[in-house]
Amino acid sequence: MRTWADLDEFQAFLDDGGMVEADDDMPEEYRQEVFRFIEFHANSELMGGLTERDWIPHSPGLRLKQIFLAKTQDEIGHAHLLYMVAADMGVKTRDEMMNDLLAGKTRFHNVFHYRAETWADQIAIAFLVDAAAFASQRAVFAKCTYGPYKRILRRIVGEEGFHMRHGEEMLLKMASGSQVQRDLFQAALERWWWPAVQLFGPDSPPDDPLLKWYIKSERNEVLRHAYVQKYVPLLQGYGFTVPDDGLHQDPDTGEWMMSEIDWAPLKATFSNAGPDSARRLANAVRNHAESAWFRESIGVSA
Amino acid sequence: MTASQIYEVFLKADGKSEFRHVGALGAADNEMALLLARECYCRRAEGEQIWVVRRDDISSADSSETAPNRNKSHRHNDGKLVAEHRRQLREGS
Repeated sequence: MRTWADLDEFQAFLDDGGMVEADDDMPEEYRQEVFRFIEFHANSELMGGLTERDWIPHSPGLRLKQIFLAKTQDEIGHAHLLYMVAADMGVKTRDEMMNDLLAGKTRFHNVFHYRAETWADQIAIAFLVDAAAFASQRAVFAKCTYGPYKRILRRIVGEEGFHMRHGEEMLLKMASGSQVQRDLFQAALERWWWPAVQLFGPDSPPDDPLLKWYIKSERNEVLRHAYVQKYVPLLQGYGFTVPDDGLHQDPDTGEWMMSEIDWAPLKATFSNAGPDSARRLANAVRNHAESAWFRESIGVSA
Repeated sequence: MTASQIYEVFLKADGKSEFRHVGALGAADNEMALLLARECYCRRAEGEQIWVVRRDDISSADSSETAPNRNKSHRHNDGKLVAEHRRQLREGS
């Protein structure tokens, strides 16, 4: 077990490219902050997996049903591994994390607080939301100083890459389909563009400990800006309109600039007060109760 | 109900590679641990063989125990002296 005399010595270790392992005597601030981050990620994978699951019966055609089954299994699998890594930090047990999530005491990603209204919403989620999550997870993986998390992220980022490719293939089919299909996706885009952009969060505070400790490798606003540069032209190339009247290219740099972001919808999701939060949580509670017999049969508690 | 135990999971990718640690999972027994390892870590056949080991069964040595072997230069040879000798021979000095 490694130990550090104080936060300065710990910081020097991290600055030098050091990697923290589960059995190290890490500073309590680091343990708490990194634990909270991983718990949030685990909760988000679980809540995301549950909504993917809900769409399996509605997926048009066998191939898409198989794809949505596989995606569901991936997301639930990610949650499973992340809860394991989080529990190993010794802050909360897996049961405690599950109970806190279902009681609405802990948080999950903003995008899982909105209703997916049509099949096209699932495509918008696969194309826009999975890509935003992928970009933010890849930025965590890049420098991540917590070894067990970094090793699991390698797997997660790899699998999210498959989801993104599925997402763009589904989008291609909608874009090259009938007018009805194009209208359906345009309507979904109008519901999902802003939540996807807001997934990166508000601008990072100047003294963000997650940046200082290299859990995040890039500031939120930098990731968000890069995402917009990539996805605005992609969506336009498929013939869709980004729902932002103020969207324009900077005349000097050619960069895409958005209107000022209204952060109120994001903040509402922080307290589980998003448009679909209550239904999603009730769905998760029901799922947990209905699958108790299975956990019991394989001899695990949560 | 059996209490869940923690298993460490190792995968071996192909004929020549070594087993590599990939992560951990909770399972009630060895058989269930192998099944969960396949579904958690091997969904796209990332390994062709799987090991699972109960964490409690692993004995480990940390850096304080490996430290004595960190400074044994006689177990290495950087070959510099001989290389310098051969270089001089080649240059005909």
